[in-house]
Amino acid sequence: MSATSKFLIIGLALLVSIALPPFLSAGWQNALNTMLIASLFALSFNLLAGQAGLLSFGHAAYFGVGAFAALHLMLAVEDGLPVPTPLLPLAGALAGLVAGVVSGWFSTMRSGVYFALVTLAIAELFHSLTPHLQGLFGGESGISSMRMPWMGIRFATILEVYYLTLGWFVICAVLLWAYTRTPFGRLTLALRDNEQRVRFMGYDAHVSKTLIFTVSAMFSGVAGALQAVTNETANYDLFSAGVSSQVVLFTYVGGATLFFGPVFGAVAFTVFAFLMSDLTRSWLFYQGLIFVLVMLYAPHGIGGALAMQLRQWRELDWRRLVKPYATATVGGLMIAAGVVFLTETVSILFGLDYEHARTLTPDYLPDFTLMGQVWSPVAVSTWVLPAVLLIGGIALLQVARRWLDHSDDAMAASDTETSKGSV
Amino acid sequence: MEFFFISTLNGVIYGLLLFMVSAGLSLIFGMMGVLNFAHASFYMLGAYLAYALSSVFGFWGGILLAPILVGLLGMVIERGLLRKVHAHGHAHELLLTFGLAMIIAETIKLFFGDFPVNYQIPTELRFSAFTVYGTNYPFYRLFIGFVAVMMFIGLWLLLSRTRIGIVVRAAERLPAMAEALGHNIPVVFMGVFGAGAALAGLAGAVAGAFYPTNPNMAAELGVIVFVVVVVGGLGSLKGSLVASLLIGLFSSFAVGLDWSLAQLFGLFGLGEWAQSVGGLMTLELSSVSGTIPFALMLIVLLVRPAGLMGERN
Amino acid sequence: MTAIETLNALKLTGVDKSFGSLSVIKGVELSVRKGHRHAVIGPNGAGKSTLFNLISGMFPLTAGEIELNGQRISGLAPHKINRAGLSRSFQITNIFHKMSVFENLRIGVLAKHGSRFDLLRPISRMRSINEETGRILDLVGLSVRSGHLAGDLSYSEQRALEIGMTLSTGAEVILLDEPTAGMSREETAQAVELIRKVTEGKTLLMVEHDMSVVFSLCDRVSVLVYGSILATDTPAEISKNSAVQQAYLGEDAA
Repeated sequence: MSATSKFLIIGLALLVSIALPPFLSAGWQNALNTMLIASLFALSFNLLAGQAGLLSFGHAAYFGVGAFAALHLMLAVEDGLPVPTPLLPLAGALAGLVAGVVSGWFSTMRSGVYFALVTLAIAELFHSLTPHLQGLFGGESGISSMRMPWMGIRFATILEVYYLTLGWFVICAVLLWAYTRTPFGRLTLALRDNEQRVRFMGYDAHVSKTLIFTVSAMFSGVAGALQAVTNETANYDLFSAGVSSQVVLFTYVGGATLFFGPVFGAVAFTVFAFLMSDLTRSWLFYQGLIFVLVMLYAPHGIGGALAMQLRQWRELDWRRLVKPYATATVGGLMIAAGVVFLTETVSILFGLDYEHARTLTPDYLPDFTLMGQVWSPVAVSTWVLPAVLLIGGIALLQVARRWLDHSDDAMAASDTETSKGSV
Repeated sequence: MEFFFISTLNGVIYGLLLFMVSAGLSLIFGMMGVLNFAHASFYMLGAYLAYALSSVFGFWGGILLAPILVGLLGMVIERGLLRKVHAHGHAHELLLTFGLAMIIAETIKLFFGDFPVNYQIPTELRFSAFTVYGTNYPFYRLFIGFVAVMMFIGLWLLLSRTRIGIVVRAAERLPAMAEALGHNIPVVFMGVFGAGAALAGLAGAVAGAFYPTNPNMAAELGVIVFVVVVVGGLGSLKGSLVASLLIGLFSSFAVGLDWSLAQLFGLFGLGEWAQSVGGLMTLELSSVSGTIPFALMLIVLLVRPAGLMGERN
Repeated sequence: MTAIETLNALKLTGVDKSFGSLSVIKGVELSVRKGHRHAVIGPNGAGKSTLFNLISGMFPLTAGEIELNGQRISGLAPHKINRAGLSRSFQITNIFHKMSVFENLRIGVLAKHGSRFDLLRPISRMRSINEETGRILDLVGLSVRSGHLAGDLSYSEQRALEIGMTLSTGAEVILLDEPTAGMSREETAQAVELIRKVTEGKTLLMVEHDMSVVFSLCDRVSVLVYGSILATDTPAEISKNSAVQQAYLGEDAA
């Protein structure tokens, strides 16, 4: 993709995110706000995980610290401290920075799995200790505050909060992107690639990694602060393993090797969660399934796979690819439909409502409703449908793969040189 | 005295239970370098499967079949999934197991709901082993400890006395060499992964009847098991045993003690100052009993990452 | 900075190294004159790579002292030794595989100019850095490969890059660990010319197996056998030394 089209896409996305929200429902405005916070969190996490190759399993710590810091500042503003509301996230940045320096110094003493375990232990330390610390973290119930008006802006509606979040997201994203263009940003990549060599070229690897960790924690703190400003409350649950896991999930599904990959993951998951949470109880199951499938079949994330396709856009012979790609899409959709059908059926058949219905009719299994249709658990047709979807979908995928292998061979034979030159 | 005796016994038995789960995790890490985030999920799966199967095959049938099924699932996961991402490195393997842990937890919620299930000790096992200081000590607790000890002896005999054990130990130390000597290392890996899963499943099947069986049990035990294997030394069985007992005893004693840092300072005449500082100073040991293991883990990771008994970093 | 001017760029005094009970380096005394090209030869397992690892700070010494331009460097971390002016290459190619050739070299140039932690300027605007990187790229003959991923280079190109990276940090004392290992005869000849060119005016200490390389390139040769220096002399004298022939060349022929 050329630089111009990249700027066009980003500009368009920015325009939409400014112009569209006023026409949306409060629910959607809230979802978009969550999406931006998750995106910023994932971007800052990915600085560490994707760019420096340091997999942290405890980034909730810095998100949480940022949130609490912002709330303390909000409380101070309530008491008359003259800090404009839009600057509240600075408290999160500062807290994340301080926590990041300390944790970063210790955790980057180790690498690989041991690094992951140190970060996990630090986050668990926060999570298990904070409910007992009344002053700083408000004990089990946490602390709450209120957004104060500033310069005539009341920050009373979610839309106003959304624009505040958007502003901070854009600033932070630009800064994080600029980071990758600095000498230190390049060193970050070199550290991931070959830390030993970096050391023998005159760099203090430990100090460098601490600095990277700190920058990442600082931006995570901003994300946490934005969440605190939005919710006007925070409790120790922000430090839970669940929060740390979510950001790992967003980042790797979106693609840790791309700068905007994590944003892609965060946006996709928060939008789906918003749409799905009303429709199904099994959203987290699908989320886990998607994550594992991505790990297995698209190790660089969905964003990574798409980027690869885009990069080869011109070289690929699309006429030859239309057929296998269309077939694969149909196959994938069939499998997805089959899995969803089975999951939802299980969810109903093993649910409390159905158990209740069974007690009313002790002798036979009552029918159930799914997707507006009535199904009988003992009818063959109920089970034939998902079976056909799954088997048919797998078969189609196999066919598509065989076609692709053929066309790959053909292409490899015809133009080895061009594909080599493109790397 | 009563507190001491009962706490020691409870602590040792809880420690043995921890060991049943951590043994497999440690063995798998030592051999394959994979930190299996889904290991505690095997424990949870063992409990739920035993519960489901016990309604058909009875309590003993459940306890016997559940670990076998979990072990088979472990083998399938190693063979079909882990091996696929092996080329992308250990971090990727770790992420995959992390995803699997999510799927297992959500699948269990799908079938059994969000609340604890009624997995109970059968009435014939529900009696007290002995009475001390007027307290009836449940026989089933001893039974959990007994199963763990039998497992440890069995595992130890298998690893030290049999041909399989020699191959497994060789594969752990020098996989490439063992493979060059004609041993089928992929099968050994699959076997060890399956066996580790089965052990965790057995622990779940046995302990699930005593402790609550709920969809959070994997997450709760999982972090403690990480603490155990780190403190004991990743890859060291003996270390896992020692660390399991240590953590077990600690958890059992800490809940009953109201010591605080302020009291410690009180011994040096600084008690009042410490009380006035508050915060961390006045926290009682019983309320931070959940924190100490992580602090311990952190200290071990930073000071001696090889753990108490581990040989290498 | 020390005021003492020495003739020796590198000086090892009584250097010992043992791993557990295994003694690998025993009482090594070695001086490398400023501006010299100095080779360390010896049979396999003599401890040549270990010696390099000791000098460059990868392992701590068990005993002894190492001085660089009269300044003690033993006990320092690798990055400090590099900043003191000693840079090393690796026997097994040790590059940034997923970065471009240009960037591989630029990492070193940035280190040389102290732009290690620069977070405030875009790298593309640092003209002198980029120009200097370009010069090193030219020097090692990889200009046409500038934008390619280092991992995609051929083996001998990667060896040339390895040398370029060693130079890029601007060190005056260069350690090359078997720079021609695994190369064909033509590639070796090219590598020798490259090494000659790039170490002009610098001090070079290299581990080398190929005697013809040593003879054509080096002013001094030290023979390391079982962790001790057997002899240090000019290549011509060394080839005549009977003890060396017995311990090393004879053994090689057998």
